[in-house]
Amino acid sequence: MSGVNSPAPETAASRGLACCHVCLKLSPSTAHSCGLCGASLHTRLPDSRQRTIALTITAALLYIPANVLPIMSTVQLGNATDSTIIGGILLLIHHGSYPVAAVIFVASVIIPIAKLFALTWLSWSISGTHGVAHRQRTRLYRATELIGKWSMTDVFVVAVLVALIQLGGLLIITPGPAALAFGAMVIVTMLAAESFDPRLIWDQEERQHG
Amino acid sequence: MADAKPKVSERRRFSPIWIVPAVALLLGLWMLIYTYQNQGPEIEIVFPTASGIEPGKTKVKVLDVNVGLVRSVSLGEDLKSIVVKARLDKEAEALLRDDTEFWVVTARLGTSGVSGISTLISGGYIQLSPGDAPATRTSFVGLPEPPVTPAGTPGLKVELIGDKAGSVTAGDPILHKGFPVGRIESARLDVETEKMLYSVFIEETYQKLVNSSTRFWNTSGISFNATADGIQVETGSLLTILIGGVSFGAPTGVPPGEPVANGATFDLHPDFASVNRHPYRVGLEYIVRFDQSIRGLRVGAPVDYRGIRVGRVEEILIEELSISGAGEPIPVLITIQPGRLMLPDNEAGAAQMRNAVTNSVALGMRASLATGSLITGSKYVALDVHEREAGSVLGNYAGRQTIPTLPSGLEGLEYQISGLLSKLNDLPLDRLANSAADALQSADRLLASQSMQELPVTLDTTLAGVRETLDSVSGDSALQEQLSVALAGLDHSLESIRELAITLNEQPNSLVFTRRVSPDPIPPAGIR
Repeated sequence: MSGVNSPAPETAASRGLACCHVCLKLSPSTAHSCGLCGASLHTRLPDSRQRTIALTITAALLYIPANVLPIMSTVQLGNATDSTIIGGILLLIHHGSYPVAAVIFVASVIIPIAKLFALTWLSWSISGTHGVAHRQRTRLYRATELIGKWSMTDVFVVAVLVALIQLGGLLIITPGPAALAFGAMVIVTMLAAESFDPRLIWDQEERQHG
Repeated sequence: MADAKPKVSERRRFSPIWIVPAVALLLGLWMLIYTYQNQGPEIEIVFPTASGIEPGKTKVKVLDVNVGLVRSVSLGEDLKSIVVKARLDKEAEALLRDDTEFWVVTARLGTSGVSGISTLISGGYIQLSPGDAPATRTSFVGLPEPPVTPAGTPGLKVELIGDKAGSVTAGDPILHKGFPVGRIESARLDVETEKMLYSVFIEETYQKLVNSSTRFWNTSGISFNATADGIQVETGSLLTILIGGVSFGAPTGVPPGEPVANGATFDLHPDFASVNRHPYRVGLEYIVRFDQSIRGLRVGAPVDYRGIRVGRVEEILIEELSISGAGEPIPVLITIQPGRLMLPDNEAGAAQMRNAVTNSVALGMRASLATGSLITGSKYVALDVHEREAGSVLGNYAGRQTIPTLPSGLEGLEYQISGLLSKLNDLPLDRLANSAADALQSADRLLASQSMQELPVTLDTTLAGVRETLDSVSGDSALQEQLSVALAGLDHSLESIRELAITLNEQPNSLVFTRRVSPDPIPPAGIR
């Protein structure tokens, strides 16, 4: 009865129902625990916004060492060279490997920054009132969740190189501290995206129209 | 629908998730503070070129241990040098002293071997040689070349002054009895004096071998020398023939001197022979001026006094000559070394020697050129006392005393002949001739006199008388016969006297008692 184009879609919460986080069974929101699996019942993910903001800030903090510290150390004939993410991209451009440079640039710089901004904006937007359609925000959230795992490309490249290139005294590649920071940052952004409850977008929609 | 709206309880509590960013922030801050606190000093080194230095890659090493990294390389303000900024580790801060030295280590192919091979593949690095001066600093001037011995190595550093570079270069060994005991650290040409200056490092163990009477000489290559003493060929070990070297030792017959301090200077002699030729430190300078060709007289040629070596020729003062103009005697600077005459080799000996020379010149000592070797035609300065020159004094020329000279060679022959002629001149030949003429005249008069004319007749008469006398004693004359009879009687008498003498000898009492003849003794037989 409530169509897709309806400006204020009916939600389970508005009907006094809550969805179990574990088994997805709808129960009355007055109940404290799920009648099926016994998990505690919440209408929305608890402290979703706070968690998202906190984890986003953590990710932003981790992003600093991930870019400042060397991500990879190349020991070529006893001559160790440290390279940061940006330094590696510049080196690839210098050598003419534009596609690889572009992939790494997008995966390691664009996507993490975009994710951080997206999460910040989503967290901010659910509190205020503004005209961006909830549908767009939901799309943005989905995109953030989708591309989140792909931003591990850089860590993946380092992992592959470290595993493959161990040529004794000729060439050794070891991961740098930035790899850890970068990996942690990607995980934290994924957790932040996970802890964001997209239903909060609906709630805001409801408040605006209701 | 609206009535079914549930009450959503908004829990406005502070979520524990905020611990995560707080921890991340604290960790980040701690890392920042830790890094800042453990950050060593940043130093500035000025190098002539940036060859082999790359920012972010080139390391600063002490004894092959990394202590820092080059941060940036930029041109100096004068655009003629480069400024390297390097960040050192905290523990390396103590190494930065006033006399700390830096140089770039790259592969080097030198006469003393190949070094820095490892830098061919790993790239060069900046070597830090720790100093031990009390003062610290953070701005340095890098060495263009690696020092042969790092600063602070215990040992003796002395300076050598040589006439020409020859085959001695930095890094060459210093040998004592053929064994390497040190190295030449640097060599440079002093523009003012046009002498080569060498910094020499002697290892601590062998430091005491060097004293004030030590002489250094070049043992590089092959030395071929034709001098007044003949022709000499001299070589060192194969190594020194190839790469050169400097030896030191005491010259023959010179007692060891006092120990020397860092920075003492020594002369670098071209070869060992010249050390023995020139083993004395103190020499009196004199000028001798030759009014003849000095062809064959070389610097270093001996100065002899009656065959005893007393000094050497130091220099032929051409510049003085050009002032005085053509036709002037050629001034030659010689030194007379008191040490050669067993006088002390110091100022006291020099004063003694100066007196002796002054006295000798007053007695007629002169210098002359003499030929040392007919093959090479080399000359030396001979000093000798010529009595007829007695009473001369030392002259003065170009600020130095001069010893008067005598010409030698063909010029000397001329001189001697002229001396002879002047002696002949001095003879009273005319008076001699006059008295001879007088004597001849009186002889003439004597021969022409009357008694002289009668002399032959008188002689004839005398000779006839002599003949008569001789005839009277000839073989068959009566005188002869009587004489032989008398002689026979005398012979007989002498015989009987002899017999009497024998008897008296055997039995002296026979004059009183009759002579008894004892029987012949018979030797006893059969008794054993």
